[in-house]
This record gives sequence, structure tokens and C-alpha cells, in this order.
Amino acid sequence: MNGAYGRSRRFAWLEKDNVIGYVFLAPFLIFLFLFMILPIFQGLYMSFFDWNALTPPAFVGLGNFQTMFGEVDFWSSLWHTVYFVIISTLPLVGLGLAIALGLNRSFRGKTIARGLFFFPYLLTVSVVATIWRWVLQEHFGLLNYYLGKLGAASLKWLGDPNLAMISIALATLWWTVGFNVVVFLAALQEIPEQLYEAARIDGATPWQLFRHITLPQLQTSLTFVFITQIIASFQVFGQVNVMTGGGPFGSTRTLVQYIYEQGFKYLKMGYASAVAYLLFAIMFVCTALQWKLFSNDNDE
Amino acid sequence: MINDNLLRRSAGRHGWKGLIFLAFLWLAALLWILPVLWMISTSLKPETMVMTLVPQWIPPVVTLENYVRALQKAPIMLWFYNSSVMAVCGTLLVLLVDAMAAYSFARIRFAGSKLLFIITLCTMMVPSQVTLIPLYLLFNRFNLLNTFWVVILPRASAAIGVFMLRQFFLGVPVELEDAVRIDGCSRYGIFWRIILPLARPALAALGIFTFVWSWNDYLWPLITLSSKEMYTLPIGIATLVGYFARDYGMLMAGAIIASIPTLIVFLFFQREFIQGITTSGLKG
Repeated sequence: MNGAYGRSRRFAWLEKDNVIGYVFLAPFLIFLFLFMILPIFQGLYMSFFDWNALTPPAFVGLGNFQTMFGEVDFWSSLWHTVYFVIISTLPLVGLGLAIALGLNRSFRGKTIARGLFFFPYLLTVSVVATIWRWVLQEHFGLLNYYLGKLGAASLKWLGDPNLAMISIALATLWWTVGFNVVVFLAALQEIPEQLYEAARIDGATPWQLFRHITLPQLQTSLTFVFITQIIASFQVFGQVNVMTGGGPFGSTRTLVQYIYEQGFKYLKMGYASAVAYLLFAIMFVCTALQWKLFSNDNDE
Repeated sequence: MINDNLLRRSAGRHGWKGLIFLAFLWLAALLWILPVLWMISTSLKPETMVMTLVPQWIPPVVTLENYVRALQKAPIMLWFYNSSVMAVCGTLLVLLVDAMAAYSFARIRFAGSKLLFIITLCTMMVPSQVTLIPLYLLFNRFNLLNTFWVVILPRASAAIGVFMLRQFFLGVPVELEDAVRIDGCSRYGIFWRIILPLARPALAALGIFTFVWSWNDYLWPLITLSSKEMYTLPIGIATLVGYFARDYGMLMAGAIIASIPTLIVFLFFQREFIQGITTSGLKG
């Protein structure tokens, strides 16, 4: 590397840029090492110990993982998480794309319309959860009132184990779809207009334009949004914690809520670390699978 | 008011199909903002008018009593102050640390640069839950739990900002630096006087993004801040939901107060914020 400068290589490590490079990098490296790299390895290490922060840690090997696979609560929170990923990701990507396609046209008040969809993203999760607890309230809630007008029965949105997770997904859709819309809009605006013009001259229908120009051109951003969305959904926590606290009857307890309870309520630090690493492994596999899937699509 | 004339003109521009489409789009946009309007409406109603079986969108009597009550019953202004200090300090720290690291990765050749950059990128893939408990124990060992430090410091270890700024620095022409260098300007001089001023748009985007993200952060402050006096606004609001579960007027007032700073930041720096999303988004 230093050879490029054409100087003596014997004292390469003394080369001025070497020092300056590290001087500029030092603050970040210290933070990265202390608060990221060290904890990453420590978490893995801890997952092999029984560690309650009060008594000395005891080595249990893969015991925590064995315990985990035998716990009913673990399996149910894993299932709730997967269920949430499924019911939240498709609407968040699909509706995000639909809204972006709509907003991509030119019309008066476009900026305002974009702002309205994006606005909830600026709110903090406990505010979002507070609003939706009010909207979904059984007796005085907006949603039940207007559904009632349409002839539907009042529903216990957050109190019914079958509905609670759907309610949380609804609030999440409202809260974060604007982010995906912005990413899609940016990608849509990159598509050269000539592509559409040429196809229109050949008599392509709007559906054909979408299928053969828009979708392929959006491939990169679709992959990106899909993957980040699934990763984000696997990590759902705040909405659950404020809206239901994992209830009713544990029906909305997700993996992160489970980690939080085991680690900070029952002080099972080693066990909670093991669950965190399992969550990491699942997310990693999902991401890898999707990359493979989408890049195969590309080759066709 | 949509009069006949305007309707016909719009139809001429968009076509009838386009008009139906637009109406649908605006309806959706309105529907999207309804929960926020309902929050504002509730926050302005007297306590006795909040729970009604038929929703009243326009409060019959407008009052600020919910806001007063929120400020009296909970240390909201203290939480506001805590949130501000943590978000502002965190953002400044991230900007300085990330800009220096990004400049180093983008422009300086040194042994190990590539490897360190790859390691940095890899850390972006690790979910925060993995480091949650070890980080908590680390801060516990140094007796820093329940202080500003525990919230501010770990933010500077996120690699996304370094990555974003590095992309930007790579686009700055090298000739500009070479010219100043020949005039005898040091690396530090180049960084402070040439690179940082040039990078203002990128720094603004990262700064605004970091501020909003810090202000809205939830899980980490929830775990590390244990006393009411140290809470950030999001954590404080979440505890109010537990204590005053049925006092929706007050909860909505508190929620609005908690949302003001990020809204102001967004209104002033819309373009930079959107830019931050798209650059960190598409090229991440």
C-alpha cells in the first residue's frame, strides 16, 4: 500500500499517513470496540453461562439453548414474532409501494400529501402506542364507532388474544409506512422517463408499463425495503410494550419482549443473551435467503 | 370549495380517471392523518367531554386544561430537558466522531484501513438486542446507569453514519485537497477547513436523522434510566400510560408535547431528512 508513494518500505509503519489515519479513526474505533465489538463477543460468551447478576456465573455449556427449546413461552413468543413479521411486512412493503406510485404523479399539493403519509414516522413509539390505544378503545374508540356505523360489532382490539397482534401490526403500518414510501419515491424518480415513452409508443398498457419497466427498475430498492422491513419486524418491541405489555395472556409477547422480561425482570442474563443470539441467527438466515432469492431473480 | 369550473379544468389536465385516482389518493392521505387530528381534538377537550359514545371532532369547548394537568402531574418539562440534552449531545458526538472516521476511511491510506472498514460494516448487521445485556452490565460496572452518559455514549458506536459520510467524502474531488496540500496545509487543516465545510449537506442530513432517532429512542433508555427524574420523554409518556390509563385528554396532551421537537426539526430540514433516508436507505 505504501509502495504507491514510492518511498522506502522499511519504515512503512512510521509513514506519516499511518499515524494520521489512526488519529482520525481513534475516537470511533474506541467507541466501536467498547460499545459494539466487545459486547458482541461478551454476549456470546454469556449465553453459555447461568448468570443472574447476583451470584457468580456458572458455566452451563449449551444448557441455556436446551432450556430455551423446552420452554413453552419461548416457542409461543417465537411464533408471535413470526406471525407479526408475516402480517406486517407485506402491507408495509405493498402499501408503501402503492402509495409511492400514487404520489409519484404530478398534481397540486403533492408535497402536502407526501407529508401526511410521512408524518407518523416522526412520532416516538410511545406516542404512537398512546394514540392507538385511544383509537382502538373498546367503548369510546374511533374505530369501533365507525365500524359500528358500517354494521360491525364492537371489538376488543387490544383485549382479545386473537386481535391484539393485528392491532399492533395496524399501528405499526400507520407509524412506519412513510419511511418505505420515501425510499420507493426516490427510486421511482430515478427511472428514466424515456423508457416509458418508448413503451407507450409501442402501445403498452399501464399494467405492462408497471410490470415490465417499473418493477424491474425497482428491484434494488424492493430488495432493500423487504429485507430491512423483515429485520425491523423481527425486532418489534416498543409498540408491544406500551400497547399490551405482551398480553392479553401472553398473546403479543414477541422475542424481544421475551428477552426483556427474562433479562431485566427475572435477571436471567445468560439465558436472555442466548435468546438474543438465536434472534440474531434467525435474522441472519432470513437475510441470506432473501439475498439469494432476489439475486436469482436478477439472473433470469 | 370545488366549483364546476375548477373541476372541468382539472379533468382536462388529469382526465376523469386521473381525477378519481386523485380523489382516492387524497381520501387515503386524509384517513392517514385522522388519528393525529383525533389526538389534537381530544387534547383540547375538557375532561368530562373526552369519553363520549359519539366522537366529537370539533371540541364544543376548547381548553388547555389537559396540557396544564399533564405539566402538573408529571415532570414533563424535566423529561423534555433530559431528552434535549441527550439528543443534542448525542448528535454532536456522533457527527464529530463519524466525520473523522469517515474522512480517515475515505481519504487516508494506512495499514489495516480496509480490514477495519470491513469490520465496521459487519457491525451494522448485528441487531441491538445482542449487545443489550453486555452493554447494560458494562455501564453498571462503571456506575453510569441512570445518567446521561449511558444514553449518549453508545450512540457513537453505530457505523451507519461513518458509512454515509464516507460515501459523501469519496465524491469530493481529490484535486481540491491536493491543491491545498501543496500550499502546505496539514491533514487537520484540510479536514477542518476544506472537507467539513464541503460536507455540510451530508453532515446536516446525518445530524437531523440522528437527532430524530435519538429523541425517539425507546428500548435502551427504558432499560438504563431507572429514576423518574432521569427519564426521557418517550419513557415518561410510556409510564403515564400505565398510571393515567383512562385520562386520555392528559395523555394526548403529553403525547403532543413529546412530538413537538422532531416536528420542528422536520419542518425546517425536510429536504436533508429525506435525503438522509434515501442515502442511508438505498446505498446501505
